Amino acid sequence: MARKRRNGQPWFSIRRELSPSRQTVLTAISFLLPLAIWCVVSYVPFIWHPDIKLQVGAGGATVYTAGDYVGKDFFPTVVEQVREENREVMAERAVGESPPGSTRENKKILRRIAGVAVQNKALGDDEREDDAKIYEIWKGLATGELVFKRPRLNEENMAIVKANWETLASYSPTYDAAKFPSEPLLKLLPQGRPANPVYLPAPGEVLQAGIREWTREPAEGKSTMGEKLLQSLQTVFGGFLLAAIFAIPLGILAGTYDFFGKLVEPFVDFFRYMPAPAFSTLLVAVLGAHNAPKLALVFLGTFPHLLLMITKTSRLLDPALLEASQTLGAHQRNMLFRVVVPGIWPNVYNDLRIALGWAWTWLVIAELIGVKTGLTEVIDTQGDRRNFDQVFPVIILIGIIGFFTDQILSWLRRFLFPWNAEAEGGQGLIERGLRGFGRWIEPAMEAHRKKPRTKLDHENVRAS
Amino acid sequence: MKTLELPDYKEQSKEVAARFAALRERPVEMAVCGLSKIFGSGEKEVQALRDINFDVYRREFMCVLGASGCGKSTLIRILAGLEYPTEGEVFVEGNPVEGPGPDRGMVFQSYTLFPWLTVKRNVMFGLQMTGSDVTSASAEARQWIELVGLSKFEDSYPHQLSGGMKQRVAIARALANRPKILLMDEPFGALDAQTRCQMQSYLLQIWRNVNITVLFFTHALDEAVYLADRCLVLKPSPGEVGEMIEVPVPRERSTDQFLSPEFLATKQRLEELIHPKSEQGDEKLPMLRLTQVGDDVE
Repeated sequence: MARKRRNGQPWFSIRRELSPSRQTVLTAISFLLPLAIWCVVSYVPFIWHPDIKLQVGAGGATVYTAGDYVGKDFFPTVVEQVREENREVMAERAVGESPPGSTRENKKILRRIAGVAVQNKALGDDEREDDAKIYEIWKGLATGELVFKRPRLNEENMAIVKANWETLASYSPTYDAAKFPSEPLLKLLPQGRPANPVYLPAPGEVLQAGIREWTREPAEGKSTMGEKLLQSLQTVFGGFLLAAIFAIPLGILAGTYDFFGKLVEPFVDFFRYMPAPAFSTLLVAVLGAHNAPKLALVFLGTFPHLLLMITKTSRLLDPALLEASQTLGAHQRNMLFRVVVPGIWPNVYNDLRIALGWAWTWLVIAELIGVKTGLTEVIDTQGDRRNFDQVFPVIILIGIIGFFTDQILSWLRRFLFPWNAEAEGGQGLIERGLRGFGRWIEPAMEAHRKKPRTKLDHENVRAS
Repeated sequence: MKTLELPDYKEQSKEVAARFAALRERPVEMAVCGLSKIFGSGEKEVQALRDINFDVYRREFMCVLGASGCGKSTLIRILAGLEYPTEGEVFVEGNPVEGPGPDRGMVFQSYTLFPWLTVKRNVMFGLQMTGSDVTSASAEARQWIELVGLSKFEDSYPHQLSGGMKQRVAIARALANRPKILLMDEPFGALDAQTRCQMQSYLLQIWRNVNITVLFFTHALDEAVYLADRCLVLKPSPGEVGEMIEVPVPRERSTDQFLSPEFLATKQRLEELIHPKSEQGDEKLPMLRLTQVGDDVE
């Protein structure tokens, strides 16, 4: 008796397709794996985290303020520097000298707690310079009425809080601008948590920033993210359609008639080696600084390649089909429109899909020339400000739109080219996702189309 | 070894002889006069065909036979008008061939159905090219599809059909234009033996029912003898007419005749012409004995 094998098919097998369920699992993993790596690197502190993100700034001789990133190696030096300044103050106090200082400087020192206070919700975001409130916070912390939990102050800083409050209280128990001390106070030591470099925000931060930016009311005169996206889509699809409108007829002619082929191809072949961005300043000079040069750049980046591809695609048509049409009485015009065009259309459709991908890659460069517009404006300005948590959502959004457009186009093939879809389609993500749905809806559609789908054996027909 | 004593292939029964006499009385459908074809020029010059002359009579079924590389494809392409001869001319009902045209239907070995058209649309293609409107083309296409027995599949796409079915569509498509002559370029070469046999008998039926002259190119001897009134044998390099053989097998043909003396005699003659003994040589493979297994095999 034959032994039943539990796994009919091994996971690793040269040039053999895995079962659909396994394919789906692997597809899911292919997306989840990079995401998982990003999460692990972001949220597990000991994996990387080469920097300290400051919660309490350093101030004084250094330039670091709360929110800044300091290298892990350098951080102790920064702390030690502040500690040294505090030691000097203590030493001067000990010998009873009246050291130089100012109320203004002291207010600054007190305000340095504001960042942590805001995070602990002890202070409003707009109250960072409200000295009276900050005075109360120092009092609360020193007396234990107020406790910071997230983030908490370290012990050394709590000691400083208490020491400073002692000094402050000796002048006035409540804030009084007239009785504000001018003798130097102790400075809070820089304090922070391990963090990844600013260019790698955590997934959560990116998601939050994304949602925040998309739901935020834009400043006066600025466009919303939705409008920016629309601008970008116009640039991509505008440039792409322009390229397609010219490349399709020209490519088909060049691939069908040697006359046009030899006339067009050599120059285009040369032209495509000149990078489209090289023309950017020229385009702005000719077409102005607004949308026209951007469309033109996408066009320049897409058109030559698309033209050459369609030319090649046209040549791939089986010449026997043309000869067959001739023996059936077709002449030039019918050979072109009734044989060449329908025969290569599915392949041209694929070429167009690839070209749309190129159009997306030219988008960012196109939007940078002249007046910055669209999604690139966000990438560029926020990137310059090192707000990478706002840059990532835009980059990912571009990826998602490009990817899903292509998947949908791939899925549409089977409806546009029923005679060809089975041979070449069928591997797309959406296709696979919809297969379950399709299995359910297929009978209905079949009934509608009334076309046999299965490969029929001629044996069946002998009777007829 | 005992072999059968075969009659002379030129011996014809009374009926067959009468049939050929009648055939020669018919008007000439296609006349091939002094056809030569040279490819390339100078040192690389290759003569593919040399001085080919023959006539095809109306309603005749003629097979053109030859080993591969003897210029069969070049000849059929010239007859179809897809290639131009270096010398000589082809006439269809007295008119010289200037290029491809609907008066000569063609069936290719590689099917060449338009994959984007349904069976019916494929058959309609030629009709529409020659000026029929959609409605009448559609009605006419239906008849031809019915003739080849594919009515059930008129809305199928070619990729849904088997090889034999595709070739029947191709025949229907070629016939729909009502050509004067049907050129067939090894049409069943890509089919398996059983389907091939079936298609041959289909083709004979169609030929009987339709007013058509057939010029059938093949390299299969059985096929040629089974189908043809006359067989034209091409000699290779350069392609020349070797012999025009009148097949002495009576109509109507059936597969039982494959073993009749006339059939075998004709086939033997074709064999001699296409694979002459002198060319076969006595070459034996160098034998290296790799087995110990003994004498019972020999």
